[in-house]
Amino acid sequence: MADAALAAFAALGHGLALWSADGLLVTGNPAFHRRFDCFGGEVPAGTAQTGLLEAAERSGLLVRSTPAQGAPETLLEARHMLGGRTLIFSDGMVARVESWPAADGLVVTLFADVTEAKRSERLLEKARDAAAAADQSKSRFLRAANHDLRQPLASLKILIYSCMAAESEEQRQETLHAMDVSVAIMEELLGALLNIGQLDAGKVEPNVQTFQLSTVFDRLRVQFEHQAREKGLDIRIVGSRAAVESDRVLLERVLSNFVANAIRYTETGRVLIGCRRRGQMLRLEVHDSGPGIPDELRKKVFEEFYRIGDRQQDRRHSLGLGLNISQRLAEMLGHEITLRSAVGRGSCFAIDVPVGDVWHSHIGEPEINERIGGEFAGLSCLIMEDDAHLREALIRLLERWGIVVTTIEDFTRVEEAVADLDPQPDIIITDYRLRGGVQGTDLVNQVNDLLNMPCPAIVVTADTSPELIAGIRAQGFPVLIKPVSPPGLRVIMHNMLFEPELVPELT
Amino acid sequence: MTDPAGTPIPIGSMVPLTGPASNDGQEFRNGLSLAAEEINANGGILGRPVRPIFVDSGEQTAPEIMHAIRTLIGEHRVHAVINGYNIGAQNSEYEVVADAGIIYIHHNTLLQHHDTVMSDPERYFGCFMGDPAEYWYGQGFIKFLSWLRDSGQWRPRNRKIAIVSGPKPYSIVIANAMASASPQFGWDLTFRPRILRGVPQDWRPLLEEVRAHDPAVLANTHYHASDLARFQLQFTERPLPVLLYLQYGALHRSFSSIVGEKGRGAIVGTVIGLPRDELGQSFAARYKARYGENSTPEVGCQPYSSLHHYAVAASVAGGTEGPGGAARNRRIARVLMDLPFRSVVGTIRYHPKWQSAVPYPDATQDPSLGMPHLFYQLQDPDAPPALVAPTPFADARFELPPWLV
Repeated sequence: MADAALAAFAALGHGLALWSADGLLVTGNPAFHRRFDCFGGEVPAGTAQTGLLEAAERSGLLVRSTPAQGAPETLLEARHMLGGRTLIFSDGMVARVESWPAADGLVVTLFADVTEAKRSERLLEKARDAAAAADQSKSRFLRAANHDLRQPLASLKILIYSCMAAESEEQRQETLHAMDVSVAIMEELLGALLNIGQLDAGKVEPNVQTFQLSTVFDRLRVQFEHQAREKGLDIRIVGSRAAVESDRVLLERVLSNFVANAIRYTETGRVLIGCRRRGQMLRLEVHDSGPGIPDELRKKVFEEFYRIGDRQQDRRHSLGLGLNISQRLAEMLGHEITLRSAVGRGSCFAIDVPVGDVWHSHIGEPEINERIGGEFAGLSCLIMEDDAHLREALIRLLERWGIVVTTIEDFTRVEEAVADLDPQPDIIITDYRLRGGVQGTDLVNQVNDLLNMPCPAIVVTADTSPELIAGIRAQGFPVLIKPVSPPGLRVIMHNMLFEPELVPELT
Repeated sequence: MTDPAGTPIPIGSMVPLTGPASNDGQEFRNGLSLAAEEINANGGILGRPVRPIFVDSGEQTAPEIMHAIRTLIGEHRVHAVINGYNIGAQNSEYEVVADAGIIYIHHNTLLQHHDTVMSDPERYFGCFMGDPAEYWYGQGFIKFLSWLRDSGQWRPRNRKIAIVSGPKPYSIVIANAMASASPQFGWDLTFRPRILRGVPQDWRPLLEEVRAHDPAVLANTHYHASDLARFQLQFTERPLPVLLYLQYGALHRSFSSIVGEKGRGAIVGTVIGLPRDELGQSFAARYKARYGENSTPEVGCQPYSSLHHYAVAASVAGGTEGPGGAARNRRIARVLMDLPFRSVVGTIRYHPKWQSAVPYPDATQDPSLGMPHLFYQLQDPDAPPALVAPTPFADARFELPPWLV
C-alpha cells in the first residue's frame, strides 16, 4: 500500500512537496523538482518556502507570485507562506498552490497546473468585455438614432399633414421638397449607422488595388459641387494624374466624410481638395475656411458621436460619426490621417496613401466588352419595328454593342416622336411592312426630313421576293432578311457608318 | 467515330495568301507549318501527326472567310482551325464552327470576340482568340504614355492628345479605348477621335488640322503598313512637336524599308509579338533557318504558339475529333482554358469569360500570367525596333524622337 502511494506520488504530473513544521523541505516528487529546476539539480532538502520562491524569482524562473487574498501574515503562515498563492512561471505555466496539514505536524503542498483554466478564464473575460462593449455601443447607437432620427421624422410627420392640407400646387411642391430633405437626412444618418455597424462586425474587407486618383476626385466633384455652391461656398478640386494603391470605395468614403464636414462647418469662403507628393506617398488634403478646431479638441473630433458645439440648426446635421468612420477605415487600410487647423482660419484633414504603379492602374471597368469599348459604343440607333418580340431582341443586341437605342412605335404621330428623340439617331433600322399599311422606307424619308442631320437607314423584311428587295435597294436602302444575323447586321452597320463606299445601295 | 491510330489529324488554317495582307499570310502559313513539323517530330498528338490544310482568305471579307471555313469543315473535315488574323468577317464564321463543334483559334485581336462568346458560351465553347482584344491597345498606350511622363523620360508640353482612326472596326475600337482611358490618366482630348471615312493619300491637311490644336501626343490607329509609311513620310516633312504613335503595321519590314531613317522616334505597339528572351530568340533562329533571313518570325509566331498549345491540350484531353465530335472537343476546350501555356509569345492564359488571351500588364500584374503588350520605338532603321516597355521584357531605353530634341 505504502509502495503504491509512493509510486503515485512519484508519477503525479503536478508538483507535490512535503514540508516540516518549520517550513523546511523534507521531500518532493519529480514534477516538483522539474518545476523548480533553478538549483542545479533537485531542490535541496531543508530549503525554506521563502528561500524556494526567492531562488526561483532570482533565476527568472518565476515571473510573478501573488498571495491568497486577505491572508494574514502570521508567523506560522510566514513559514508556510506558499499555501493559496498563484505562481506564474516564465514559460507561461500558471500554478495554484494548495496546502494542507499532514500527520506529525508535516505540511503538504500541491502545485496544481491551472494554465488552461486561467487561459479560458481570460478568454471568457475578453469575450465578456467585448460583448459588454458591443452592447454599450449598441445602446449608444440606439440612443443616438432615437435622438437624431426623431427630429427629421417629426418634421416629416408635420410636413405630411401640411402636404395633405396644401391649398395650392406651389405650396404642395414646397412641402414635398422639404419632405425630400428630411428623408435625405434620415438616409444619411442610417447610412452612417450602417457603416459603423459593418465596421464593428468586422464585415468590411478592403480590396486594395492600383487606380487613378482622378476617378475618386471626379466622383467627389459630382457628389459635392452642387451642395457647396448651394451654400455659397467656392469648391475647388485640383485634379491629379497620380495612381494610388488603396481601396477605391473605402478611400472615397474617407474623403467624402472630410468634404462633407468641410462643407457643413464652413459658412463662407471655400473648400479645396488636392494632393501633394511626399516620396512614395501621396497626401490627399481637404482644406476649408471654416471656424477651425482648437488644439484640445483635435483628438476628440475623431471620437464617436463627437460634434463641435451644438449645430442642430444645420439643415444637414450629423451624428458625429463621419470622422470616426474615416479614422477606422484609414487604420484598416494602413493609411495615416492628419489634421492641421487654426482657429478662425480653417482646417485641413489629410490622408496619406502609397503611390501606385501606373502600369497596374485598374480603370474600374468590371468587364471589358463592346458595351464599353466597341466600335459602335455611344452611337445612337432609331428602331421602327412593330413586332414587340423582334424589337426587344434587336434592342438587346444593339445595347450589348454599346448603342443607345430609341424607338418610334406610334407611326401616326411621327413629327412629335421625332421631336422627342434623344439623342438624335446616327442610323435607323426599320421594318418594311409596318402596322396600318405604313412602309418603312416612307417612314424613314419622313423621319429624315424632320431630323437636323439625316442619317442612313437599313430596311429589314421577312419578304424574300426578289422584286420587292430590288425595289427597296433601288431607293438607296440596304436590305436584311429576317431573322437578322448579328454578324450581317454588324457588317452593314459598320459600312454605312464608317465605310459608305462599301455599300452598293449608297453609291 | 474515332480515326485509326497514325492517321493524320487535319488542321485547317485560313490565311490571306493574296490581297493586301499576303505578307502576313505567308508568315502565318510558315508559323503553323513549323509548329506542325516540330509536333510531328515529337510523335504528333498521341501518335497521330498533324496535317495543316491552308485555304486562302484573300481580302478577308465575310464571303471569303465563310467560303474558307466551309471548305475546311465541309470538305476537309478538319478537327480544328488555327490561323493568324482575318479581319472583316465580323465573326460570321463562328456559326459554322459552332455548328460543327470543333476548335477554332484565331488571332483577330477583336473585342467583338468577347461579345460573341459571352452571348452564348455554351454554343461558342470552341472559339478562342489566341491574343488579347484590340481594346487593350488603347488602354495600354495611355498607360505607356503616362509611364513615360511620370518616370520623367519625357516631358509633355501639355496634356493634349490627338487621336486619328482608320475606318476599320479594329482602329475605331482602339481609338475609342484611348479616348475613354485618357481623362483618368490626366490627358485631355483635343477632339473626339477623328474616324476617317476612307484612307487619304495625302495626310497633310489632316496633319495641319492637328497642328492647329497643338497637342503633345498624336496617335494614328490605322494599321496598314504602306498607308502608315506614307503618313510617316509626310509627317517628317514638317514634324509636329508630338510624341507619335503608329498602330501595329509600322512594325512591318515594308514600313521601315519605305521610310528608313525617317521612321526614327515613332512608337509602335503590339499585343502579340516576340519577346527577345531565350524562348523568343531560339524560335526566331529556328524560323529564320527554316524560312530564310528575310522571313518574319514576329508574325509567324502567332499560329505557331497556338498550334503547340492545341497539341498539348488535345493530348491531355485524350485526342482530337472532327466535325460532330463536340464531346471530345469540349474536353480540349476545357484543357485550353485550364492550362496556361508559356509559348514563344509569352503566356497564353485564356480568360474564363472572354476566351481570349489575358494581356500583361494591361489586365494582369503578373508577367507569368499574361501575354506581354510590347511597346517598341523605331530607332536604328537597320536594326530591329527597340523594345522599350514593359519590364521584364524591355531590352532598350526610350529616346526622345529627333523632332523633339
